[in-house]
Amino acid sequence: MNEFSHPLLLSGRYRPLQNILAYDDFNQGQCGWIDLMNNFVLEGHKPRPSIVTKHRWGPVMLSNANFGYAGTHGAMNGLYSLKLATRPEANPYEQPPAPGAMSMAIKRMTSLPFANSGKLQLEMWYAYTPEQDRAGIGEKDIRAFGALFDIQDTEHRYFSAARYVNSVNGTLARKWQYAQAADVTDSEWAYDTEGDWCKRGIDPVWFGKRQSNGDADSFKWVPGGEEVLCYNESDDKINWSYFRLTIDTQRREYCELQSGRSTYSLQGVQPTLVAPYRGITSLLNPVIWIEADTTRRVFLFVDSVLISAE
Amino acid sequence: MRHSITAALERHRDYTQSFATEPYECAWATEAIFFIRVQELEGENPALQARVQVSPDGIHWADEGTEFQRIDQLGVSFVRVTHFGGWLRLEGSVEGEQARFNVNINLVLK
Repeated sequence: MNEFSHPLLLSGRYRPLQNILAYDDFNQGQCGWIDLMNNFVLEGHKPRPSIVTKHRWGPVMLSNANFGYAGTHGAMNGLYSLKLATRPEANPYEQPPAPGAMSMAIKRMTSLPFANSGKLQLEMWYAYTPEQDRAGIGEKDIRAFGALFDIQDTEHRYFSAARYVNSVNGTLARKWQYAQAADVTDSEWAYDTEGDWCKRGIDPVWFGKRQSNGDADSFKWVPGGEEVLCYNESDDKINWSYFRLTIDTQRREYCELQSGRSTYSLQGVQPTLVAPYRGITSLLNPVIWIEADTTRRVFLFVDSVLISAE
Repeated sequence: MRHSITAALERHRDYTQSFATEPYECAWATEAIFFIRVQELEGENPALQARVQVSPDGIHWADEGTEFQRIDQLGVSFVRVTHFGGWLRLEGSVEGEQARFNVNINLVLK
C-alpha cells in the first residue's frame, strides 16, 4: 500500500477482479518488471543461435517522462512510470524484428494458489511516444505495442496477447489484434529456420511471419478493432490511456479486451495451445512490449499495472 | 528501504569502433557506478576508452568529466558518478588493428 493505491483512488481507474495479485505503481521501483531476454545457458553464457536476437531488446527503466522542451511530465499518479525504450533500430514490417527494435518488460509469477474460477486480468495505464529527436509528429514511427500472459498449466503452454498495430511501414493502421497462430509449421513460425528453441504459438511477439498489410501468422485482427487512440499533437505531450485484457485460464480462452471506453468481446476465442515446456509448469508471466517501425527510439510509459484473478 | 537497480545496458556486445550506450533515465538516483566487463578481446594493441556523459533530455549529451582508465585486458573496470541529473550514458571508442571487445555493461544506481 502506498499513497497511490488507496482503494478510493484505485476504484476510479481500475476494475480489478476479486483477488489482486499485483498492483505495481512504479513510484515504488520496478516491482519485479525486468527486461525480457533469452536463456544464457551455453558456454560463456552465450544465448542459443536464433534468427531473432533476444538479448538486445531496448532497456526498461524508471522514468519521470522528461522532454527537452516540455520538461518533466511525471506519471499519471506520482512522478515515475516504467519506461520501455527500443533502440533506434527497425526492419521492414515483413522481416524478423531487428535487434533492439522492441522493448519488453516481463514479471515472473506462478499461478494463483487458491481455488478460483480461472479468470485472469491485466490492466494498465500507459502512454506512448517516440524520442523527440526531430521535428514533426512521430506517431507513425511507433509500430505496435501490447500486453500478454505467457501461461503454462499441467497440459499446455499458451500465449494470450493483445497488440495495437499503430503503424505498418510508415502507414498508420490503428487496429487491435489478438495472438493466435496461423496453421504453419514450427519452421515457418521461425521465419523458415530450423532448430530454433521455439514452437508454433510460442513467443508471438517476435515470431510468425508478417505481411505488408499488417497481417501476421502470430496474430489475428480483433473484429471491429479499429480505434484511434489519443496520441496528441506533439511528441512531448503524452496522454495516459487505459488497457485491460481478461482471459479464462480454466477454459483456456480469451474473454475481453478493453481500450479506453471501447470494449471488444473475445469470448470463446482460443489462444494457440502448445505442449508444455520443461521446468515451467504453473508459469504465469505477464509481459508488456513496444515495437519501433523505423530507426528511431520509441517509448511506452506505464504508470501502473494491476493483475487480478477470481 | 533504499531503492537500487542494476541495469544491464549491453550483453555480449561487440565493440570495434566508437560507441554510445542507450540513454538511461536515472533522475530517482543519487549515485551510480558504470561497470564494463570485457569477456573477449581480439586484435593488435586493442584499447577501449569510455567516458560518462550527462544530458538534459536524453538526446543532447555533454561530458560529465569522469573517464575510465584505458582498458586493454579482460576483466572488470568501473567508474563512480554522483550529481548527474536525469540521464546517463557512456560514450567510447576502440583503438587497435582489427580490435574487438566483447563486453557486458552494467549501470548500478542507488
